[in-house]
Amino acid sequence: MRLLSRTRTVLSSCLLATLLLGGCSSPGDEPAGPDAAGGGPNAGSAGGSEASVPYDVVPLLKPSRKYFGAAVEGSPHSMKGVDAYTEMVGKQPNLIEYYAAWGDGFDATGVRNAWAEGALTLMSWEPFDTPLADIAAGGSDAYTEEYATAVRELNLPVVISFADEFNGHWEKWGTEHTTPEEYVAAWRRVHDTFVDVGASNVIWAWSPNIVNPVSEVELEPYYPGDGYVDWIGLIGYWTLEEDSAFDSVFGPTRDQVRAFTGKPMLLLETAAMAGERRRDDIRNLFEGVTADDDMLGFVWFNHKKRADWRLEASPLALEEFRRLAADDRFGFDVRKP
Amino acid sequence: MTRHDHHTPGPHDPYAEEDTAGGWFNSDGFVPRQPSRPQDGYDYGHGHGYSYDAQTYPYQQQSYQPGIPEQPQGGRDDRPTHALRTVAEQAPAEPGYHVPDTPEVSWDMAASRRRAWVSRAVLLCVLTVQAVLSLRLSNTAFQDEALYLAAGHAQLDQLLHGTPLPKDYAAYFSGSPQLYPVLAALVDGWFGLAGARSLSLVFMLATTGLLYSLTRRLFNERAALAAAALFAVLHSTVVMGYYATYDAAAVFLLALATWIVVRTDRAPAAAVLLAAPVAVLAVGVKYAAALYLPTVVVLALLTAWPRRGARSAVGRMVLLGLGIGALLAAGVYATDLMAGVRQTTTDREHGTDGAGFLLRRSAEWGGLMFLTAVGGAVSYVRRSRMHESPLARRLDDPGWRRRALLGLVLCGTAVLAPAYQVHLATQVSLFKHIGFGLLFAAPMAGVGVTRLVGAHFRYPQLGIMLWTAMLCLGIAQADWRFALWPDSSKMVRAIEPYMNSRDHYLSSTPEVPLYYFREETTHRQWQSVFGMEYTDEKGTYLSGDDAYRAALRDGEFDLIVLDGLTNPRVDDIIAEAVRGNPHYRLLADLPFRNSAGTGEYRIWIKTS
Repeated sequence: MRLLSRTRTVLSSCLLATLLLGGCSSPGDEPAGPDAAGGGPNAGSAGGSEASVPYDVVPLLKPSRKYFGAAVEGSPHSMKGVDAYTEMVGKQPNLIEYYAAWGDGFDATGVRNAWAEGALTLMSWEPFDTPLADIAAGGSDAYTEEYATAVRELNLPVVISFADEFNGHWEKWGTEHTTPEEYVAAWRRVHDTFVDVGASNVIWAWSPNIVNPVSEVELEPYYPGDGYVDWIGLIGYWTLEEDSAFDSVFGPTRDQVRAFTGKPMLLLETAAMAGERRRDDIRNLFEGVTADDDMLGFVWFNHKKRADWRLEASPLALEEFRRLAADDRFGFDVRKP
Repeated sequence: MTRHDHHTPGPHDPYAEEDTAGGWFNSDGFVPRQPSRPQDGYDYGHGHGYSYDAQTYPYQQQSYQPGIPEQPQGGRDDRPTHALRTVAEQAPAEPGYHVPDTPEVSWDMAASRRRAWVSRAVLLCVLTVQAVLSLRLSNTAFQDEALYLAAGHAQLDQLLHGTPLPKDYAAYFSGSPQLYPVLAALVDGWFGLAGARSLSLVFMLATTGLLYSLTRRLFNERAALAAAALFAVLHSTVVMGYYATYDAAAVFLLALATWIVVRTDRAPAAAVLLAAPVAVLAVGVKYAAALYLPTVVVLALLTAWPRRGARSAVGRMVLLGLGIGALLAAGVYATDLMAGVRQTTTDREHGTDGAGFLLRRSAEWGGLMFLTAVGGAVSYVRRSRMHESPLARRLDDPGWRRRALLGLVLCGTAVLAPAYQVHLATQVSLFKHIGFGLLFAAPMAGVGVTRLVGAHFRYPQLGIMLWTAMLCLGIAQADWRFALWPDSSKMVRAIEPYMNSRDHYLSSTPEVPLYYFREETTHRQWQSVFGMEYTDEKGTYLSGDDAYRAALRDGEFDLIVLDGLTNPRVDDIIAEAVRGNPHYRLLADLPFRNSAGTGEYRIWIKTS
């Protein structure tokens, strides 16, 4: 009897221990750690259950209609300039370009503002104070990761044009300061950091200046590869030094680029110098973009910078622009590509 | 056996010391039992085992009218009254009344309707708990579920529309693709994954019901309820009850075969053959069920032994063995399942899991139940009596050899799966197979619980603690199990726009997207991360890791879904081949949280 009681006491103790252990912990494996994902991709995004899946930018990579873009002072952080531009040209731009310096924080509000009006944001990211060699060596990894995380968490598509006009000697990251190898390494480093962080909502635009003024610089050595680039962004302006034909402005660059990649092209920055020829230049711009299926569209640089590129500077040209922009092939709501 | 037989406690009375020579407890403490006082002159017996003892039960003292009217005291009337005269004249030599035989026990140990309904009510509670535990689990389809359901839909398409099967499922399934998958796919077609999982719940609830019934037949209601209660909260039971795989169906069929064997113990020997097709069907549903057939066959002997002669019992066992063997042989010859049997069950590729690890896992998942069963078996071998009633002493005692054999067979079956998996060095499906074994050990565990609780529910807290411990373990382990695989709903949404009947997809778990996109894609379009063959653009044949690298270099796949869990080594090779690959861009990175911590789906899309 005593033996039986003792056995029962021992059994009770064991059971109690099992109960406590079993009730308090999962068996076998380490308990799940804190959620490293930090709120997931939908944090701070447009909201709703749809947003919990990363935004799929693939339909935006080569849409059936053309991007009708603009770079306007103060936009997209404030959409007043864009609204005025819309009023002026008669069509809402669906691609808003702005300029950010390497080291700046990500302007998620601006992207949201543009998105709310059916426009995609294109950020020209310019490393004024950080040599590309440092970026390539990983010196800016922490900043890039933080930036990429912010972009990912926004979960809206963003176009990033990193260190554009690299083939020009006038930029701090241009040919006088950076080798092609450094440029490619820096590009890949930034791109891979974004990919590692999971920021799949970025469209990468590799953006040389048109080769006309710097014909001695080969573009191919600067090309990071099709695995790192979504768009080829061409930066070129109609100036009085060259003739007005589309092919004269962009043809040489396009031909050179087509030798090493078939990625779609965007006139990432363009405008025509004010003057009598401006109407023709604008007509050629629309025709050139329309004629080439691989040409995604253009961004009109509506600033007064080194020259007055604003449309309002030439009422006749503006009228022509307005007429051509009314074409249905230009502009679409990027939220429903 | 009559109810009112007197009985002198024998030396083997297991409850003798507990009964304390007929003493009883009442609210005042122990009251030694006194003999009845026949001089009271009343027949307190009601003829049905109810005895009344005035001293032992003073609170039941009843007032009564004396049979003789009281006489006036001190009167002068010296004539004897008629009454007094009657007393004097009619005083018999023997009392005019008789003391009924005192029943030995005041309650009936035979089955009664009330007891049956109480038992069924408790069983219903047990089943409700089991259902709730299973239904609270939630996750998207596990890859095995997805595979069987997708295969079932393909089989249905072949049956109904003659659509060719995309894969030879029979060659690598661990059960017949024509049985469970088809049934589950039918249910899935009507009610979706939750429906298919609920089918498993029905099977598992039925299994618990059968376990109750057969344990009741082997022992008694109390052991049966305890067995059912323990089995219902097992990790394996809870998970298999909401897991659209063969297992629930197979364990149900095994339980049914066992139930038939136990239920027909007093029927003509040939009746045991009813169990043969059910047992063979269990094997058809899941080949690994064959591991438990010897137990069913031996039970045919052990359940018949006490009542029939040894020869008849052995004959019953042989009959069942031959019946099952004949049907199995017919099944093997009539179908083309042997290749699948060999690949998935008998010649299964050996893994790398150590014996210590597997035994530790087995102990975590079934150790408590197994120990209870072993305790029950040891206790049962030492003492056969299953009932408090002293009358139970005169029930048939099957003899210690038969009891020992029964305990050994039932408990031994529980170690078959861990032993076999240690031999195979793999933990694949271990938890489910432990559940299969514990189905057989459960009756003994039920006995263990009744012995732990003791006669007259003396230590109910022990039984409650044991059950609660198993409940906590079962819940924690089932939750852990169901969170092992990532929730794929976001992944499914992310790839939905790219599902069509032309493209070629690579996935860590192709079964899952294949199940969710079975209308859009077929099995042939999905490549797994477990081996690949590829002939590159130059005509070079490649296999294994090189095949993945070459195929990705050539942009062979239109979409790649990696989970980093299923085969991390190959996932890494693929991730490396995709990095900087001109054909692919990252479509989505989807973090998830599972039992092992956190992970992420990485989805790549071909863009050029």
